[in-house]
Amino acid sequence: MTGAHADLLAGLAEEEAAPVLALGSRIALSAGQVLFNLGDAADSLFIVESGRIALTLPLRLRDGQQDVLIEERSPGQALGWSALVPPHRFTLKAAASIDTEVLALPRAALFEHFAAHPAVGYAVTRNVSAVVGQRLQVLQTMWLREMQRVVEIRGVRARSVT
Amino acid sequence: MEMFLMAAVMSLLGVAVCAVLFAAATRDDRGVTTQPARQAAQDRQRFFAAAPAAPPRAEATTKEGTEPELVPVEALLLRIEQHIRLEQAAAEAFLHRPTDESLHSRTTSRLVN
Repeated sequence: MTGAHADLLAGLAEEEAAPVLALGSRIALSAGQVLFNLGDAADSLFIVESGRIALTLPLRLRDGQQDVLIEERSPGQALGWSALVPPHRFTLKAAASIDTEVLALPRAALFEHFAAHPAVGYAVTRNVSAVVGQRLQVLQTMWLREMQRVVEIRGVRARSVT
Repeated sequence: MEMFLMAAVMSLLGVAVCAVLFAAATRDDRGVTTQPARQAAQDRQRFFAAAPAAPPRAEATTKEGTEPELVPVEALLLRIEQHIRLEQAAAEAFLHRPTDESLHSRTTSRLVN
């Protein structure tokens, strides 16, 4: 993995990206192994080096609870930005879809590096903002569409009652 | 005369027994046909808020139209995940070109249709 291939480090020169990647440690996950659970303390940001990570949310179905796939992360993509945003708790569950390797970048080491290299910190923060902002817009739109359905359904119900 | 009266009483008794049996049989039939329909409505309300008032789906009933379809949890999960993918794609299309029409475009998702 090089800086040029990681979306988190987009816009950084190779000599700026390499020290950021050097802060991380590799974690190997076998298929199905959990990287983090919803509610866990988010102390590290991750970049997928190989394989795939499934991001899931729990949904109650009938008498049990099931993990519903929300998104998948592939090589070069970052996940776990809750590590950079208070209250630093993961809001999804992440597990390896197949044998996977991720690079774990501890928040404390990242912030220390950013303090010493503000231009790098600015670029990374801008990249994270793009990911967070895009997801917020998508989820807001999805929520609006679901709300519209609920409103339409309530309207049908009200007409049928009167 | 006594024989005639006895035959008449026996006939009336037979008719009464038949009437009681017929009434009991008719009452049982009504219970069987209405209970699954009520149960089906309750089941749909329990699974998804969007489902109860949705238009009736062919897959929700059997050929007789009285019993709810029991979708395996795995199939339901696949349907939910497909719904999420379709809605994400619709949301991304809206963000690419935001209009009222694209925001409220119809979905082909089987979860809500």
